[in-house]
Amino acid sequence: MTVLESGIATAAKPAADGLAERRVAGHRRDNRTAYLMIAPMVILLTIFVIWPLVYSVYLSTFKISFYEEPEFVGLQFYQYVLESPRFWSSIWVGLYYALLTVPTGIVIGLLLASFIKMLSKRAAAFMKTTIYLPAVVSTVVASVLFVFMYQDEGVINWLLSLLNYAPVNWLNDPSFALPAIAVPGIWLGFGITTLILLAGLLDIPEGYYESAQLDGAGFFQRLFHITIPLLRNVLLYLLVTGFTLAIQLFDLPLIMTGGGPVDATMTPNLFIFTSFRDLTPYATSFSLTASLMLFLVLGAISLVIFRLVNSDKAIDG
Amino acid sequence: MTRSTSQRILSTALMALITVSVSFPLAWMVIAGFKGKTEVLRSPFQFFPDMWRWDNYTTILKDPQFMRAMGVTFVGALIFTVLSLTVNTLAAYAFARLEFTGKRFWWVYCLTPMFVPGMAILLTSFMVVSKLGMLDTMAVLIIPGVASSGQMFFIRQFYLGFPMAVEEAALVDGASRWQIFVKVFLPQSASSFVVMGIASYLAYWNAYVWPVLTITDPNLTQIMQFLGTFRSDRGNDWGLLMAGSTLASLPTIALLLIFQRFIVNGVRISGIK
Amino acid sequence: MRRRGIVMLAIAAVTASVAMSGCSSGGGETPAGTTTVTFWQQKFEDYQQAWFKKYVDQFNASQSKVKVDYQVVPGDTWAQKLKAAQAAGKAPDIATTNYGNVSPGVAQGQFASLDELLPAEKFDDIKGNVKPFVTIGGKHYAYPMLVEPSTVLYYRTDLVTAAGLDPASPPKSWDELIVWATKLTQGAVKGMTIASAAPDLGWSSWGLQYNACGRLPVNDDWSKAAAMDPCYEKLLGLYKTLYANGLIPKQPKVGYADGAPYGQGEVAMMAGGSWVIGQLKNDFKAMIPKTAVAPFPSFDGSTGKTTATLGGWTLTVDAKSKAKQQAAEFIKYLLAGDPAIMADFFKTSGFSKYTVRSSVDLALASNPDASADPFMKIISEKVVPFGKAEPAYPWDISLAFGTAIESAMKGSADIPTSLKTADAAINDVIKKQSLAGTAPK
Repeated sequence: MTVLESGIATAAKPAADGLAERRVAGHRRDNRTAYLMIAPMVILLTIFVIWPLVYSVYLSTFKISFYEEPEFVGLQFYQYVLESPRFWSSIWVGLYYALLTVPTGIVIGLLLASFIKMLSKRAAAFMKTTIYLPAVVSTVVASVLFVFMYQDEGVINWLLSLLNYAPVNWLNDPSFALPAIAVPGIWLGFGITTLILLAGLLDIPEGYYESAQLDGAGFFQRLFHITIPLLRNVLLYLLVTGFTLAIQLFDLPLIMTGGGPVDATMTPNLFIFTSFRDLTPYATSFSLTASLMLFLVLGAISLVIFRLVNSDKAIDG
Repeated sequence: MTRSTSQRILSTALMALITVSVSFPLAWMVIAGFKGKTEVLRSPFQFFPDMWRWDNYTTILKDPQFMRAMGVTFVGALIFTVLSLTVNTLAAYAFARLEFTGKRFWWVYCLTPMFVPGMAILLTSFMVVSKLGMLDTMAVLIIPGVASSGQMFFIRQFYLGFPMAVEEAALVDGASRWQIFVKVFLPQSASSFVVMGIASYLAYWNAYVWPVLTITDPNLTQIMQFLGTFRSDRGNDWGLLMAGSTLASLPTIALLLIFQRFIVNGVRISGIK
Repeated sequence: MRRRGIVMLAIAAVTASVAMSGCSSGGGETPAGTTTVTFWQQKFEDYQQAWFKKYVDQFNASQSKVKVDYQVVPGDTWAQKLKAAQAAGKAPDIATTNYGNVSPGVAQGQFASLDELLPAEKFDDIKGNVKPFVTIGGKHYAYPMLVEPSTVLYYRTDLVTAAGLDPASPPKSWDELIVWATKLTQGAVKGMTIASAAPDLGWSSWGLQYNACGRLPVNDDWSKAAAMDPCYEKLLGLYKTLYANGLIPKQPKVGYADGAPYGQGEVAMMAGGSWVIGQLKNDFKAMIPKTAVAPFPSFDGSTGKTTATLGGWTLTVDAKSKAKQQAAEFIKYLLAGDPAIMADFFKTSGFSKYTVRSSVDLALASNPDASADPFMKIISEKVVPFGKAEPAYPWDISLAFGTAIESAMKGSADIPTSLKTADAAINDVIKKQSLAGTAPK
């Protein structure tokens, strides 16, 4: 507790001083501590992700066979993947899906989190649990339910009929199928987004809002001048992970549409999964290479997000 | 006075709306568990069963495989959650608050795995765990996923928001980095730990492909593997699947009820300004 | 002090969990002289799993030399689990393999030849039309278990009568089929179901591809696509009419292999595999008296043409297995042994699958249930004899053709354009997978 109190006591100290002092004083010691702290993570990732990844890259230069001597083919499979129109169309499907779900999810999450923050303690406790409930429903169950709701005689078309619209063929019309899948996608994911944003909101000192209110700032002014800038770290996280996960969507289209109609919901991972199913060396190598290409695409998109969101210091702390 | 009353009504209405839209599918799942094998799929949509039958629930509860799968998965998920929070928080703190040589490299190194699609390392990571003799053990379910770039990234973002002043003051007082981490950062991390902990727990709980690949011992069967036995291309046993999914979601809901209270105001920043 | 404490704690936690896990492994204690062979079965209908388990247990109890370790693997993870195991050198000794995968598997040396492992007379028992499915270059690489026609027409006699049609003379041509489907579409009940998503269309339409053109959309030595043959336009036209005229459900809730929509009375007819009989008998008993089966109609109404491929399963022995002979012992017992064992299988399946051994036919001939079954006679006499083998070419070719059907159905492209796209895609597969001249003979 003393540390914290002294922290508060010296908070007024000019920051530049502190920084300089730290740089000079703490450099060598930080190295050792830091390596100790990142060691478990680095070791585990090396064994279970990085090494397998390197090995996969090596394997991707072969026509993989588990029974005969694998044939070295160099970058041939990369060429095949790059030439595959279905691979590229799956990437666009993945991006489109991410654009449909990630911003929507964050906006809904932000609105809900602001709402929960206003509530009394008991009401907030109730809501914090409630909004997370969709996440405990498995994707299989959610998929089936939404397939029902999209039927010609389902709930959604029934609502449309009240507005005098003809039933929409949600899951089998190429222009509606992906948005139709995005709805359960958002529904399954907004709980965690809301909780994350709530945790972030609760960390913003109340004083900021109070003084803004005294200055006569409205809701939107407070949102854009206080909330969003102060949530920047959290928003960066949500954007990067949101895009990464959304583009890798797999089980909703697998169960709801099988990737159809005519590949309109063929997400990259579903494409990779279906090309893996043949038991031939070609299928194994092709889908492995396609997944490595997807890795590059995800990395590149994330890099762009980092650059866009992160104008200043977040990368190096 | 009137304003606050209308506000209260509005917020209650909003809460009701959210609750209904969120719990409708959940309620459907619970109720579908009372339906016959294929009654679930019947058109037109029917919310309630023709006849309430308990046999799906009783069949599953009587199945020793189910209780064992729940127990094994629950224990695994808890160990997994604790380990991953430990490992990832340590790294997150280092990346957020410490200066060290090669930081940029290690940062990219630790973040990269987030972008690796599962299929890219499916074969090779299986070869690794197989070489390490981990097949058919709890370790193969827990250890490979413990280090999570996503989780580390989140906690690091969270720690970035901590005011520098706290730390500098402590350093001046002669506290070590470990002491600052343990005494200043950890006590303030409850809400982010809960949020990430739930995510970890669910990731473990819902894992399907990896357990199918690595576990054949019936004593270690995971809950999603168990539920998977009700599915097939040639007709699913929907009633059992729904009842099983309902029962399988109970521990998670219980954990949620217990831990949601920790998602509250952090003391630290509110005290400073 | 504290620093060390935390590090120790972390290390302790990791090692503890590794150690803990160590305890639960290593249950493979076997008495001396017993060889354990692993057997993976792809998950199918529940009664199949029950049948396998029963006879694995009997086999294990009947002798002490070989112990079969039986595991059921879900279909959606089969390829991943099998390939991962192969990569790590842990492939099962025995596995279920469908006919379509026998030839590609042999091409990459995946299976052990069974001729050295089983007595020759065991192969003489296999029926003549099935033997080529498991024979490559004169050698047998798999032992067949059953055949299932992929496409049969099911129809509701009560609804047919109510619509003023004659249940005794089911549609023979595709035009008649469309007339029936149109008349039977009444309100929420659609005329029929048939596959409508490319991954299902890819395989379920093989029989109809044969029907329309007498061949599949590649030439005989796999050197060139033949999807632009105008005869396929009729086939795409059939699917398109069914879909565009609203004669089939627009948003199917389950895949082609699952007969639940028919069982629930949502459709009056169904194109489905013979296995659906088993599903109806188990889950929709009320439908059985109201259901009749017929060969799926032919494009021109003639009888005796192929309308279905014969899918089905075999057991194969892994080429790298260390216990090939012991694995073969089990296959000999289960599939090639006492005909009563397989007869029991066909009985449990509700006669929704068909025998591949003459001796099993004999065993069933004396079974009153089998001879009385209304569906079995029609399918085994009018469908199975005309059924062709599933193609052995890569799935990508089938998928390209399935995509052509789907895009014509859903209006993404007109029929000739869809076929042209498929043709180009198939030629691309041929080129990239170097298929020219590799067709099994």
